[in-house]
Amino acid sequence: MKLELTVNGDPYRREIAPDATLLLVLRDELDLTGTKWGCMTGDCGACTVLVDGEPVVSCLQLAQQVRGAEVTTVEGLGRDGELGDVQAAFVRHGAAQCGFCTPGMIVAAEALLRHNPDADEPEVREALAGNLCRCTGYNKIVDAVLDVGRSRSTTA
Amino acid sequence: MPELFQPVDLDEALAFMAEHPGITMPIAGGTDVMIDMRIGRAMPEWLVDLRPLQTLKGLAFEGDAVRIGALTRLRTLELNGELARRAPAVVEAARVLGSVQIRTMATLGGNLCHATPSAEMPPPLLVHDAVAEVASRDGSRTLPLADVFAGPGATTLESGELLTAVTLRATESGSGSCYLRQTVRWSMDLAGVGVAASIEAAAGAVTAARVALGAVAPVPLLVPEAGAAVIGSPLTTESAVEAGARAAAACSPITDARGTAEYRRQVVAVLVARALRIAWLRANGEWPAGLPAPINGVLSGATS
Repeated sequence: MKLELTVNGDPYRREIAPDATLLLVLRDELDLTGTKWGCMTGDCGACTVLVDGEPVVSCLQLAQQVRGAEVTTVEGLGRDGELGDVQAAFVRHGAAQCGFCTPGMIVAAEALLRHNPDADEPEVREALAGNLCRCTGYNKIVDAVLDVGRSRSTTA
Repeated sequence: MPELFQPVDLDEALAFMAEHPGITMPIAGGTDVMIDMRIGRAMPEWLVDLRPLQTLKGLAFEGDAVRIGALTRLRTLELNGELARRAPAVVEAARVLGSVQIRTMATLGGNLCHATPSAEMPPPLLVHDAVAEVASRDGSRTLPLADVFAGPGATTLESGELLTAVTLRATESGSGSCYLRQTVRWSMDLAGVGVAASIEAAAGAVTAARVALGAVAPVPLLVPEAGAAVIGSPLTTESAVEAGARAAAACSPITDARGTAEYRRQVVAVLVARALRIAWLRANGEWPAGLPAPINGVLSGATS
């Protein structure tokens, strides 16, 4: 089946299997491997991407069902080789250990902060509850997200 | 590997399902269907994509009722302030299900039709007197939501039928409801026990009350005798505890990874009393509108 998709602002056209997931298309067809292949049951959140600005687990998302949508992956959050503010905060706070959950965490955090830059700690934890970090480095992750929220609120 | 049919409207979807009996599976958010296919629980030859069916999306408030399209996403329910005021139990259940990502994808119709005994959405809908609308190529019909559930993973819907909407009783004032659940973790967990309660009050007394349970029977369970225990007077500790005891007696929990049958029965009794207490306070305007009830039923100041 034909699939047309905009990913990180770039239009793509591919021929894909009808049951291909968005995760498979991103990684295997478009070589955007920042989005991670984790549990494949929607539990771990490592494959989180934004579809029309909202966070979804791309492992459970049929690609054809989001035909024509705007998809944002972790690769789309930086600009011109510069890290996005959430990415930079994760570096600053040492919020990555093995790094496998990091892209999904950053995309889920981005989804929260776009709607609610003033999110408090419980709200951050609720927004990231679908993203598992098996290194259990949650505190630094939450600190990083709260830090970005503070700076976006001040500059807004 | 299934083929994918993407209809332009509901009629086309229903016609396709009628012409391909037994080999189609509707897919909306996909959060259950994709997993079921991966583990071999579902092996359809055709997936019928419901997402293009815009007419099945959204909420409409009409008088004391709200009609919710089956394609409405749980995230939409969670964030609807009017629904939080009129049917707080529904919003509370939507808010604790899965994760933000799952709720952004998952639809109300999908949660109901997957018919998991521990599903979050049936108990709150049952205490709001939900009526289901079901359509097929040959027409449409309505039935009480309770009659949709046939057993674990099974509904009474016929081949070729689709759930299209659910209509709830959700009054402007004089009523309150609440959903509480017991889980091991706050998020990404299934209810070990789910409890919803609703109360309508007038002149300081309960005029109507409903209690519904999830995860403690093969199907979501309305317990009329539990609601009846609190009708006719102000809610008291004694009447709420009696309602809890009746609910515990009516359910038939199993022992599994999320708890023993004995434990679940005791949790049912406690959560029913607490949920009725919160519903009563809300019906009397004494519990802030829209404030989510504490997750896991942990609560101070309003216990039985």
